[in-house]
Amino acid sequence: MFYRPDTFAAALRLKADHAAAIKPISGGTDLVVGLNRGQSLGVDVLDLTAAKDYRRIDHADGSLILSGGTTFAQLEQLDIACLARAAASVGGPQIRNRGTIAGNLATASPAGDGSVALLALDAEVELAHADRGTRWLRLIDYFEDYRQTALGDDELISHVRIPTPSALQASAWYKIGKRGAVNISLVCAAAARFLDGRICLAFGSVAPIPMRAVQTEKLLQGQPLTGALLHQAAQAASAEVKPIDDWRASADYRKAMCAVLARRVLEQLQTDDERQMP
Amino acid sequence: MTWHLECTINDAPVTRDIPEDLTLLDFLRDHLGLTGSKGACLEGECGSCTVHLDDAPVCSCLTLAAQAHGRSVCTVEALAESTTLDPIQQAFIDTGAAQCGYCTPGLLMAGRTLLDRTAFPEANHLLTSIEGNLCRCTGYASIIEAIQIAANESKA
Repeated sequence: MFYRPDTFAAALRLKADHAAAIKPISGGTDLVVGLNRGQSLGVDVLDLTAAKDYRRIDHADGSLILSGGTTFAQLEQLDIACLARAAASVGGPQIRNRGTIAGNLATASPAGDGSVALLALDAEVELAHADRGTRWLRLIDYFEDYRQTALGDDELISHVRIPTPSALQASAWYKIGKRGAVNISLVCAAAARFLDGRICLAFGSVAPIPMRAVQTEKLLQGQPLTGALLHQAAQAASAEVKPIDDWRASADYRKAMCAVLARRVLEQLQTDDERQMP
Repeated sequence: MTWHLECTINDAPVTRDIPEDLTLLDFLRDHLGLTGSKGACLEGECGSCTVHLDDAPVCSCLTLAAQAHGRSVCTVEALAESTTLDPIQQAFIDTGAAQCGYCTPGLLMAGRTLLDRTAFPEANHLLTSIEGNLCRCTGYASIIEAIQIAANESKA
């Protein structure tokens, strides 16, 4: 069966009732690729694209609340550097018009550019069930293992909460791929510095999950980003990631690039700070 | 299972019972005979299947036809009015921007989006407008030139 509810509440009801027997679809950038390769959808399909209340962006208490159906095209327009740049680097316009942030998080690809930017922003994700209600999780606790997340079979991703531009001092994004467009990350990195001075650093395509470099972050807390500290952080990041060899790049290359990208995104945070000084 | 699809295609209402797992691309080509949109990579990398869904360019190969329910689809067949070509089509001919031609319908739809949305596109707009479209003949210079010419004509 194909279900196309026109509200998110109706979608939640269907997901709760059918659990694993129904698969949500929005942009189709994962599900329909499989279909085109001859795989059957196998289960019923829950189309979320008719639910107009699933594409909203709201402000609340220093946070932005993004509906799960927010598209990459919408994210591109946000005034949050790392997320807007990550979103703009996803696929081409055709993909960004359809792909959603909930899809990125639910698919949980280690190369999910949106996931990496959101990790650096220390975002929270809201998982919703028709009867049990909602629960907020920090994104760092959401990704569990390769393509495994805390999202239950009977739940949908309802919202993502991120700091507003005014609650952020600076954020940065850098992605290495093989070309300038329609580009899957070989390695990507995002960093954010919050008003309390805290710095978060995240990497994609270098571990089974999109990962926060928590060990490297510890080195950076409360310290001025001197050249020596940047060097130390770059080495720490390279040591902390757990990449594999695959057909896109070798593990050694990825480790080396993590050092380079750690330095670049952290330097970018500094540059942005300076630009904001009177 | 079938889905009772009601949508608008090239400004005409369309009502059909279709398989639920039918892609929009296959619906257009195999059920409606609109073979302008091409299937090539079938994974969202090449843009040959680009159509407008409620005025936004999308890959019809990654969109289920049932997802077009209640929405408006515009394909390359709708660019020309009778025998009068859209300026972007004429510009593609004038610059020789079509080589093997397989990517052309998708590029026309991607370029048309830029012209619809941006009155005075700059060089970077031209490039990003077609970043989701792959031309294996690599005739990008004349494609960019064609979109620029069409943009200039739209302004005039």
